[in-house]
Amino acid sequence: MNSAVRGMCIVLCLICQTFPLAYAQTPARAAFDFKAMGDMSDFDPANPVIPTGDTIKIAVVASFSGPAALVGQIYWASAAWAAHDINKRGGIMVDGKKKLVELIKADHMSKPDQAKKITERMVLQEKVHVLWGTDGSNLQKIINETANKYKVISINTASLSDDLQDATNFSRYAFQSTMSAEQLGRGLAHYYGQIKKKEKKFYILNQDYSFGHVLADGFKKGLKEYYPDAQIVGEDYHKLFLTDFAPYLEKIKASGAEVIFTGDWIPDAANLLKQARQMGITLPFAHIFLDEPNFLHEVGVDGTNGLVQISQYGTENPAFKTPEQIKYYKTWNDLWKNKWKTPPFNSRLFEHGTGNIGSYIEQTYWLLSVIARAQSTDPEKIIAVWEGDSYRFTNGKVIAMRACDHKAIQDLAILEFVAPDQQKQSFNIPPYYWYTGTSAGGPTFNIPAKAVLPLMDQNLDRCKGKSAAG
Amino acid sequence: MDPITAMYVAQGIHGLAYGMVLFLIASGLNVIFGMMGVLNLAHASFFMLSAYLGFQFVSLTGSFWLALLLAPIATAVCGVLMERFLLRKVHAFGHMGELILTVGVAQILLASVKSIWGSESLPLKMPPILEGQLAVAGLNYPIYRLFIIALALVVLVIMALLLYKTRLGMIVRAAVSDAGMVNALGINIPLVFMLVFGVGIWMAGVAGVVIAPILTVFPGLADQVGMDAFIVVVTGGFGSLTGAFVVSVIFGLLSSYGIQFVSQFAPVLIVSFMAIVLAIRPHGLFGVKE
Repeated sequence: MNSAVRGMCIVLCLICQTFPLAYAQTPARAAFDFKAMGDMSDFDPANPVIPTGDTIKIAVVASFSGPAALVGQIYWASAAWAAHDINKRGGIMVDGKKKLVELIKADHMSKPDQAKKITERMVLQEKVHVLWGTDGSNLQKIINETANKYKVISINTASLSDDLQDATNFSRYAFQSTMSAEQLGRGLAHYYGQIKKKEKKFYILNQDYSFGHVLADGFKKGLKEYYPDAQIVGEDYHKLFLTDFAPYLEKIKASGAEVIFTGDWIPDAANLLKQARQMGITLPFAHIFLDEPNFLHEVGVDGTNGLVQISQYGTENPAFKTPEQIKYYKTWNDLWKNKWKTPPFNSRLFEHGTGNIGSYIEQTYWLLSVIARAQSTDPEKIIAVWEGDSYRFTNGKVIAMRACDHKAIQDLAILEFVAPDQQKQSFNIPPYYWYTGTSAGGPTFNIPAKAVLPLMDQNLDRCKGKSAAG
Repeated sequence: MDPITAMYVAQGIHGLAYGMVLFLIASGLNVIFGMMGVLNLAHASFFMLSAYLGFQFVSLTGSFWLALLLAPIATAVCGVLMERFLLRKVHAFGHMGELILTVGVAQILLASVKSIWGSESLPLKMPPILEGQLAVAGLNYPIYRLFIIALALVVLVIMALLLYKTRLGMIVRAAVSDAGMVNALGINIPLVFMLVFGVGIWMAGVAGVVIAPILTVFPGLADQVGMDAFIVVVTGGFGSLTGAFVVSVIFGLLSSYGIQFVSQFAPVLIVSFMAIVLAIRPHGLFGVKE
């Protein structure tokens, strides 16, 4: 071996060895502290230990009843996990005193009038410091309005509408720590145009409301930017909670599409995929919410193979990069296996504290980190810390808060679903698969934040003249 | 058959298949209203309950066919109990009491399925024999959807025979016309009505099990089809089995071809059809003016 080749090998080895370290050290103002993590052995989302008295109060505003009640439980388990951990660490020093985090369930029942009532009650009677929301952009808008009216902080961990922080709706007190619809569309377009470079014909099938349309617009805009050769061979919007997708699927079959692009969520997403496979349509779906493990198991390994998901939680493979992260993951997974016996927390949906659940947990940790650094529950002090802040998740991912419009800037990830025997490239610890009865994340690709910067409304005075990077 | 023709034919069959599911639900609702004058707002909830019971029977026995047999019967028993111990008591006080009661029952059923089975989506697999596609003259069509059409037609024939060719059917029709007179002849009218109510719920139960393999069994199932079934009943005419059948088919075909040709207006087409029918015939397409 000549010296040049040897030198190159040494450099490559150094790069390989130092990559995880370099990744983990992406600059961030704050990060999850594994070493300080509390003893979580008594954590059970069905029976959480809720402190009372002089606490930091956070209202988890979600649908805890009605058809979307399960969503509320997902949020609750996620937020309660982070709160429990922080409490086990001894709480947060605010206003010169260590205080524990108290979560309160606030059921908006998926109804706007109830959302208004419950958020006002939380602020005026319960005196919460933070409103944590929610499923449904129309409901998040109400939460933000209440936050603005009574000057309390609101965090949006799940609603994806782009207009929540635009010139019309912006509130200094509201922070969108989740991704947004237009970003998702562009992210998937980036994947197909810049990474996959294979399929060219897309059929858009979304739910017929603002999210579905904004998502599709983002995808089309992204295709123009990242994949000019691509072709939209069909575009349809269906009513929510549709029973029969067969007529749409028949059109898709005849269109010559190579990929079905959909932002549908459960149950529509599940029924769409299920009925497509029953009709013999084996096309891949580019999606966001086709990750509910129960129905994925129903469709099976073959039917779910080739699905492509965009995620705000994932990073490049492998999923578990450090011993600390593995320990953290196992803490959740062991509790799920051994301790959580109450539905729905004992179901497959809660098996892994990653994916959407992981994202809600991390966003809550970020919020609590901001409060800790603000050393106060005073909203003005929290705002001062959070604007322009950045935080490193347990999996190494860094998220930042754009100061002018309070929207999160972050890399996104694309997960290609593969059969269990190929999931090891992602799930790199025993048993080396996410699930045995369904395909799940295998190859994972990073969509850099700069390619999917959230929309910035230049009509918002605070953002005038600023670049999209903030 | 060329691919374009195959697509149009397939859309027609899709329309029929969905129409038949609607017919099964709507006809039960219609039978109950037609015979008893009760607008059962818990009807779609019984449909949902049957889907859950179907899931449970498949889990216990592994047999879809047993589930299809037992779940609708179990659901009908629940319906009969509701009629006997709740509805009958408020029936004499008019429609308002019935409406409130049936809304309450719907809420109880919803809460019950959630507490028993949780809020997650549950799988109900179709039997292997009905999986796959049937290929005829260049058209590939899912066998299961053809099964739905056939089953609904069988139920329709059984119902028609029962109503128009049996003594029991004669009694039911007579009771609808003049319950007091039939009662005076020594026939137990409350029993007849209870039977009718059970049959109506049974039909919704059949629909619940039959649709479960192509849908997600979850607590929102009733909301998904309840409104469509109600439109069918109103447009077809309260109490008319023929109306329920014809409008279900029209509904399915309008939906299917609407999506094919004017996708964004497909939901409007159905509501427009209902509006036009009611404007011309306020008592529905086949309803009888009282």
